Amino acid sequence: MAVLITKTLDNGLRIAIESQPWNPGLSFTILVPVGAVNDPARLQGAANMLETWLWKGAGPRDARVFADALDALGIRRQSGASIEYTTFSASLLPEGFDAALELYADLLTRPHLPEDAFEPIRLLALQELAAVEDQPARKLMQRLRREAFVSPHGQPVEGEKQSILSMSPDVLRKEYQRRYGPRGAVIAIAGGIDPVRVLQIVEKHLGKWSGGSNKEVPVETSKPHKFHLRQKTEQVQIGLFYEDVPPGDYDFYAARLVAAILSGGMSSRLFTEVREKRGLVYSVGATPGSVRGFGYLTVYAATMPQRANETLQVMQQVIYDLKDGVSRAELDRAKVGLRAELVMAGESSRARSATLARDFYILGRARSLEDIEAEVMDVTLERINMYLKKHLYVNPWIGTLGPAEAD
Amino acid sequence: MTRTEFFEHTLPNGLKVIAEVNPGAKSVAVGYFVRTGSRDEIAGEEGVSHFLEHMVFKGTKKRSAWDVNREFDEMGAKYNAFTSEEMTVYYGAVLPEFLPRLLDLLSDMMRPALREEDFDSEKQVILEEIALYQDRPDAVLFEKAQRRYFGSHPLAKPVLGTTKSVSAMRVEQLRDYHHRRYVPGNMILAFSGNLMWDEALMLAEGMTAEWSQGEAPRNYPPFKPKPGFERQSFEKATQLYATFVAPGYSARREERYVAKVLAEILGDADNGRLFWRLVDSGLAESALVFHQEYDDLGTFYIYLQGNPANEKAMSEAVIEELRKLQAKGVSDGELARAKLKAATSLVFAGETTISRLFYVGMNYSYTKRYEPLDAVRRWLLHLETYHVEELLEEKPFDEMLEYHLVPVVEG
Repeated sequence: MAVLITKTLDNGLRIAIESQPWNPGLSFTILVPVGAVNDPARLQGAANMLETWLWKGAGPRDARVFADALDALGIRRQSGASIEYTTFSASLLPEGFDAALELYADLLTRPHLPEDAFEPIRLLALQELAAVEDQPARKLMQRLRREAFVSPHGQPVEGEKQSILSMSPDVLRKEYQRRYGPRGAVIAIAGGIDPVRVLQIVEKHLGKWSGGSNKEVPVETSKPHKFHLRQKTEQVQIGLFYEDVPPGDYDFYAARLVAAILSGGMSSRLFTEVREKRGLVYSVGATPGSVRGFGYLTVYAATMPQRANETLQVMQQVIYDLKDGVSRAELDRAKVGLRAELVMAGESSRARSATLARDFYILGRARSLEDIEAEVMDVTLERINMYLKKHLYVNPWIGTLGPAEAD
Repeated sequence: MTRTEFFEHTLPNGLKVIAEVNPGAKSVAVGYFVRTGSRDEIAGEEGVSHFLEHMVFKGTKKRSAWDVNREFDEMGAKYNAFTSEEMTVYYGAVLPEFLPRLLDLLSDMMRPALREEDFDSEKQVILEEIALYQDRPDAVLFEKAQRRYFGSHPLAKPVLGTTKSVSAMRVEQLRDYHHRRYVPGNMILAFSGNLMWDEALMLAEGMTAEWSQGEAPRNYPPFKPKPGFERQSFEKATQLYATFVAPGYSARREERYVAKVLAEILGDADNGRLFWRLVDSGLAESALVFHQEYDDLGTFYIYLQGNPANEKAMSEAVIEELRKLQAKGVSDGELARAKLKAATSLVFAGETTISRLFYVGMNYSYTKRYEPLDAVRRWLLHLETYHVEELLEEKPFDEMLEYHLVPVVEG
């Protein structure tokens, strides 16, 4: 049985540790609240560029020696900036944790941010930005977020050409000093570990971390509207954005179950109506998303131009029909699906460390899988249908990308 | 370490059943691994393997398409299927109490109804799937390079078929292909996770008792790589997409592990030689190397993506790095780091029952034996520089195909 403990250090760093005694591996995720949302408007893309720059040497090691030291511990790593935060994740054998965290502490607190690496990082950022043009689905969904949020939650993680070009080493170093720090940050560790020992190691390496912090950015949305991006593609990309329940809300899991009923398995409503009955698409799905204090549901499909109108209509109708409630059989399927998903996520140290870190950031607390399961099971048919009566899924932001507009 | 035990048995109809049992796991995964894919298709049926994979979800004699979808979801299963050049795999993972029901569903699906009306509507879905990839320059690049590299060899065929071949497909062709390829001697039923072997085997035998015996041979025509250079413009690309394809090792050869480690040394995303040469310098956005294993051969794929203005510089840098690698080999430190990283990856590949199922099922389908992840890990950790040198002595990168997909130049 997995055991979860949490602690907040004096410097504000929050720690979640879940031991999985059967697991031979360990994964950790460090989440720092540095993301597109707190990039100054003229410095969009700063969080993304900083993340790349941090890897170019830290503490006593230059970039190559640093990478070699991580490899010498067999560490599999992933990192990246997103809307609200930057995460650094690593998977390794438990005996290497002390040495690994020493390296990550250097990365976060003593990065070199060397001058000569700056231009290559800018070139990389420009290429990442340009590559979005070649990924129609990503391009549309990014733009959809941008249209829906008036607040900086809509800012592109990749930044903009002008902002990337205007960045300088000094400006970006100031951003690092201003924004990287333990307050609001989280480290979550899961795997075959001794929690007491792990906690000591975290305190040793990150207990003295001090630094900047970020102000909470309030969410503001625009008035729902439609837009079209003209581009020569085989398929028309269709994206809808609905306001949904914020994380931590009483109805949060009712809304999650609604999303599963819409798009969980192959018997879900969108898959059945859009793909199975009508053969309109290969891919269609609804994905719940959230930022602190705000929840949203994005719905996506792609289809050839002559069928785009019908596809959009069916998608909207299926979602609108939620107002009539869901059946017991649907709710049962959604619940058993979420339950199985939780159990299977619990098998993976990578999945757990990522979820714990995100939960702690979004909700201000980390939850065990048992806690989440209990919340899911508490949603009765009466409760979910009551929720659907008061929360109507109507009036979305609608975006399309393709040779011609759908209507 | 996780305590696992392996079992295998061949049923009277020829179906091989295997299981890696882990009593500590919280879930159980089941999969049918059918040794068939686009390379086994005959002229006029390109794309039939993948089309059939879709149709398998459309119901059986006793189940409608809706029944299939609904039953998976009633068990809370995590399930799907995929088709490659050589394999078609159907799988699901559930909490242990649902195992008998999941096995019944998957086994029944292996004898699909293939109804005409489902066929017509699913054809539209598959044409959408093909269109989806036509909007992705990286996918277009690999399809073109694969065609060019493999030439008249059956591995040249795209898994999805083409818009033309799928549009012309008839349901009789699916029935014929199914009859030919989905025979017990050409399939493996694999389990992984928390299950009782005796019980699972007994259930499997009962559920597949009516399947008639049969084998499905595969053609292994000789293959000679066709090195060369191709450059094509693509209207949906604004960036450069390039690949180098070179001969590697088959899924049945031990050298494949050495090849994997070599790919890591060269093309690891964080610390590979190409990363430092191309990405760290800002020349390219990505520079990655994969080793792809097929039944009778293998290939190294080098992948580059980035600013088209750097096309020539990127290509020259890769060629220079490959020359250097072939001439001077790898250092002890480099090898030690790469093999440890590859070995650690295997620990995480073994975390979930689904990833273990894929590992055990795929490996067994190719090699006809069970290799525990732990044994592979130890094997990797014992690699020496001479293993890599032996592989480099064959000069794999002398016979490369280099393929560039570039934006259309305006005006």
